[in-house]
Amino acid sequence: MSEQARSEAAARPARLRPLAVLVRFQSLIGLIVVVLGGIVFSPRRHGMVLFLTPDNIANIIRSISETGIIALGMTFVIIAAGIDLSVGAILGLSSVFTASLLIKHGWAILPTILTVLVAGTVFGTLQGAISTRFRLQPFIVTLAGLQAARGLALVASGNNYINIAYGHGPGLAPPAFGVLGARLFHNTLPVASLIFILLAAVAALVLNTTRFGRYVYAVGGNERAARLSGIPVNRVKIAVYAITGVASAIAGIVHAGQFSFGGPNDGAGYELTAIAAVVIGGTDLFGGAGSMVGTIAGSVMLGALANILELNDVSAAMQLLATGAIIVAAAALQSFVGRRDGGGR
Amino acid sequence: MPRMHTIGTLAAGMALLASPALAAGTPIAKTCGPNNHYLIGFSQVDYTEPYRQHVDNQMQELVKNYPQFKLVIADGQANDNTQTSQVENFITQQVDILFISPYESAPLTPVVARAYKAGIPVITLDRNVIGDQYTTFVGGDNFLIAKEAGEYAATLLPDGGEIAILEGLPSSSPAIERLDGFKAGIANHPNLKVVGVQAVDWLEDKAVTVFSAMLQAHPDIKLVYTSNDLAAAGAYIAAKSVGKQNQIKIIGTDGLPGPSGGIRSVMEGQWAATYIYPTGAAEALELAKKILIDCATSVPRKITVPTMRVDPQNAKELYEKLKF
Repeated sequence: MSEQARSEAAARPARLRPLAVLVRFQSLIGLIVVVLGGIVFSPRRHGMVLFLTPDNIANIIRSISETGIIALGMTFVIIAAGIDLSVGAILGLSSVFTASLLIKHGWAILPTILTVLVAGTVFGTLQGAISTRFRLQPFIVTLAGLQAARGLALVASGNNYINIAYGHGPGLAPPAFGVLGARLFHNTLPVASLIFILLAAVAALVLNTTRFGRYVYAVGGNERAARLSGIPVNRVKIAVYAITGVASAIAGIVHAGQFSFGGPNDGAGYELTAIAAVVIGGTDLFGGAGSMVGTIAGSVMLGALANILELNDVSAAMQLLATGAIIVAAAALQSFVGRRDGGGR
Repeated sequence: MPRMHTIGTLAAGMALLASPALAAGTPIAKTCGPNNHYLIGFSQVDYTEPYRQHVDNQMQELVKNYPQFKLVIADGQANDNTQTSQVENFITQQVDILFISPYESAPLTPVVARAYKAGIPVITLDRNVIGDQYTTFVGGDNFLIAKEAGEYAATLLPDGGEIAILEGLPSSSPAIERLDGFKAGIANHPNLKVVGVQAVDWLEDKAVTVFSAMLQAHPDIKLVYTSNDLAAAGAYIAAKSVGKQNQIKIIGTDGLPGPSGGIRSVMEGQWAATYIYPTGAAEALELAKKILIDCATSVPRKITVPTMRVDPQNAKELYEKLKF
């Protein structure tokens, strides 16, 4: 932001400040609004508010766990002023790879998970490196990555899906892997949700408290200034794509475990949901501003919205329209205040 | 002593009460009887395929005959995660019975098992889950329908020839069964050679692309068998685009009524035949009535709904007769 604009912003009357607060916490406020709406409009059975039953809340978190994990990684990329369209395809590739190693090659669980995570990280790093080294738009590189990942998934799966059956012997996966689809604590907390919650905490810590996190904001906010201040800009830019790569791989492993299934077309369209969650969470698509807490709130908001509409038997079309409206509202609010006031920039 | 007497009388009384119940068996549904209203949750694969719309229409039409039933149909949007969420929501809403056509068999098995274990009777329609955690499967015998199609194909090509197969989504049970059934039907006719089998995932546009490519690679294909009518329509478009629509005999599956359905395509001579795959809606609703209103204690594990071939001889009559 220019010196002149900054001093103008400082001179702005105090009454615009509340709007700035609204923007900073827009996603949390939005989430509260959606949750209140859920309670008000929730069907009731035997006097219970169905929306608030522990089972229902666990279901909401479960339904967003895969796209949520991807959104955590996507936050880093978008704050760094990049974008990653290949995440859904990497999920599909990872789910196929996981199923293939477990079933067709009889690998044990730990080597399988490690290999798939490494593969996802390598794929992401490659995309980041190509984009940075050759100065290509991340949009284009990750679009190409999307196609490549889908193609690899089709090859690795032999153009077919891979069913994961559990047991001991050839063609069967170790039963412990099925824990990814299980529910803990007397059938209440899905393991997929637990993984999302843990990763969300880690992601928030990394972004908010580490030097790397500050570098990400700096690179996205003003790349030239960051480079001049000695920040290893290229390495940061490559690292964030490695993060989305590994996040998508984790989501793919969770997907294979939850559904006992590795399909080459799995995860199609997940990139859009992840980006929506990040934008609704208050992160600027141009980079430099945003928060992990916002993304988490955005993900949960989308899941809660879908849940309220489904509990009330409202058609899926309404859900899509509502999501679209929320994205536009979130972006507009942020843009309106962010440019006129000092904001988070 | 008084206490012993009381216990003795209690025990005798309980034994008297218990025996009739044990003798009769416990009803499948937790709440049942003719005096309540019941909520049926139907988790449908998606709304965008004509066959699925046909099933939904029949369901909504026929449920009017059961004033105690309220039917809710959820759109799975052809996505495992979405359909799983919807079944979870039905469990939350404590529906009295769950109907489901799973998008893919393995991924939907865990959540269906949860519903079943929670005491909700489960009727699987047309596509099944893996294992036995469901009450009843209502569907056609895909294997038999496809086998009949294979045998009919042999009569259409008495001198033999090259055959192509356009398969449905390979991760769904009907696709596998129809493929295996057709192959069994032509097994005794060595002069019928299958030169290409490709999955088109029940989709028309995919069928056009795939079959066009097949025709380039195998220009002498004489017959194509498809897993559903949409794929047959796509095959026709592909054949027509290279001027071969009269050389290639097309056999579809579904036999949907109405101006855009398969029956009309056979009537107009575009296809050689199709097989009506019934929706099972009537049978499923009758089953729901038995379980929820009549308090049935046991029901059949599998209800096979019959099929029928539509060919040039009966197409016109069937088209007039079957309106929705």
